[in-house]
Amino acid sequence: MSSIKGQVQVLDPIGLHARPASQIVKLVNESGLEITIGREGQEFAKANSALRMMALKISTGETLTVDVPTQDKLLADGIIAEIQEFLKGE
Amino acid sequence: MSPSVGTIFSGVGVGLTSAVGEVVVVKQQQTLPAWAKSTKTKDQELAELSSAIEFVSDYLDQLGSKTGGTGAEIFEAIKTLLEEDELFEVASKHIDSGWSAAAAIGKAVDEFSELLGGDPAFDERVADFQDLSKRVQAKIAGIEMSLSIPETGQIVLVGEDFSPADTAQFTDAVVGVITFKGGATSHTAIICRSKSIAAVVSCPDATELETGERVLVDPVGDRVVISDDVSLATKSIEFVAINDEPLIPVQANIGSLEDAVAAGKTGAHGVGLFRTELLYLSAKTEPSLAAQVESYTAILQAAPEGPIVVRTIDAGSDKPVPFLKLPEEQGMPLEVRGYRLLSTHRSFIEGQLRAIEMARLATGREVWVMAPMIASVKEAKDFSVLARSLGQYRVGIIVETPAIAEQVDQLEGIVDFVSVGTNDLAQYLFAADRRNPSLGALLNHWQPGLIQSLARIARAAKSAGITSGVCGESASDPVFAVVLAGLGIESVSVSKSQVGAVRGALSSLSLADAKEIANEVLKQSTPEAAKATALAELARR
Repeated sequence: MSSIKGQVQVLDPIGLHARPASQIVKLVNESGLEITIGREGQEFAKANSALRMMALKISTGETLTVDVPTQDKLLADGIIAEIQEFLKGE
Repeated sequence: MSPSVGTIFSGVGVGLTSAVGEVVVVKQQQTLPAWAKSTKTKDQELAELSSAIEFVSDYLDQLGSKTGGTGAEIFEAIKTLLEEDELFEVASKHIDSGWSAAAAIGKAVDEFSELLGGDPAFDERVADFQDLSKRVQAKIAGIEMSLSIPETGQIVLVGEDFSPADTAQFTDAVVGVITFKGGATSHTAIICRSKSIAAVVSCPDATELETGERVLVDPVGDRVVISDDVSLATKSIEFVAINDEPLIPVQANIGSLEDAVAAGKTGAHGVGLFRTELLYLSAKTEPSLAAQVESYTAILQAAPEGPIVVRTIDAGSDKPVPFLKLPEEQGMPLEVRGYRLLSTHRSFIEGQLRAIEMARLATGREVWVMAPMIASVKEAKDFSVLARSLGQYRVGIIVETPAIAEQVDQLEGIVDFVSVGTNDLAQYLFAADRRNPSLGALLNHWQPGLIQSLARIARAAKSAGITSGVCGESASDPVFAVVLAGLGIESVSVSKSQVGAVRGALSSLSLADAKEIANEVLKQSTPEAAKATALAELARR
């Protein structure tokens, strides 16, 4: 199945920690899609699991790829933009 | 029978605020049953697990709505972790292999904690997560765990010790805290100090207190008094500066770039302890020389003006660095850690010293280096030769093993300075594991055994022409810092939040006065008498 990928940058000073991770999980669950997230070239984590995402130990400044399994570009871009919002920190 | 008015219970005081309030005894938490194999069907175990998780989730919701704001968001976030399908799936697998629901959740949370561990930014969340696991297990076992702390009035909480999740529930009504266990560096003590809550820890006799009694929590007097009279509180010392500069330099302890920046805003004269482990704890592979140089350069640049004392890596079982692949050793921290890694990881320590030297050259800062866990003169000599061959440093060692504490005079010509790590020195002197909350009282820095040892170290260093400093937690106690100066210690390095207070204390008297105070303290045979003497002597001046 084809998917749409987009990049986000972690700007939160504590990296990808519990709060943004749980916000992402909520969004992903609402979307009903099997979205994954990770560092390009490494194994991706399921974005419906805060634990798996936190286990990636993403630090501030890292760029991540979000993989949204849909062909609906508008939907995918919306989700990616929202994830970027969560990663901005305060 | 409840103890009568005027009864005094001794403990270890935290902070300088005293308070009177009504005792609320937090029920002694029953220990959780050991993990066991299931005696029920898998479906029963699964049902038990999901209902216990649901119960704890609801409880977190309640806590969240009580707290509001950022606190509520944190509870919401940890609730997400607990409710996660991934977690439930991993736990189900353990149930499939025959474990009970409580064991299954415990094991699943341990597995995830390990995945998340090692990153200091997550440590607190991992602690929260482990606490949730315990709450779920308690629910399954039918043990009550939630604290119900009144929101109004003036409450003194009394209990064995308080976990991060417990302290998060402290309401504004909590004016005092008394714990039977836990020392001055326990989580409870740290939280109370930062929130200015009156606290006395390591107070075993407080088990006699009953809910409803009025007590005075008197941390300056290291005691709890059954009394309603706040005027009985031991007066804390107000230090009035008579000099612009402290008797001895007050430096800051740092471990990261953020610490260095924060310390730069204090009155600290340089850094007396730069713990380098943090830079490596989260790295899976050894960072390249260039990456290390970059980290060190940024930190050296940000550090407060003055010399910067860098401690080479002090990894061990309590601070595991993944890429060093150290064997897991259980029990007392008598193991391969600190300088002892040199025999197995020489190239790593050489790389670290090289990186620090390159950062020194790049920033033009004055850098001193010291090695932890030195136990013999030969080790000190080997480190000194190695460090001097790799950089233009002043070279020293941490004095934290009792053996080297006895040989400081023989370090003449070998090292330029010694810095006493009082936390570890106390642990090894008293054979009292720092991780054991029941032994907090022995690790009190007012223990005469420790003070005598510090006096000998200061004297021996002076006769050997070596500079001596103290970088342990004890130096952050302003009154103790005065005693250290009086003993002949030539610098102290303290938590960045304590720089102002310690500078204030050390600017309030002459060196001759500090020496007299130290001499009086040295005559005392109990920690209570030692501290009381120091306070009384200071008050007299």
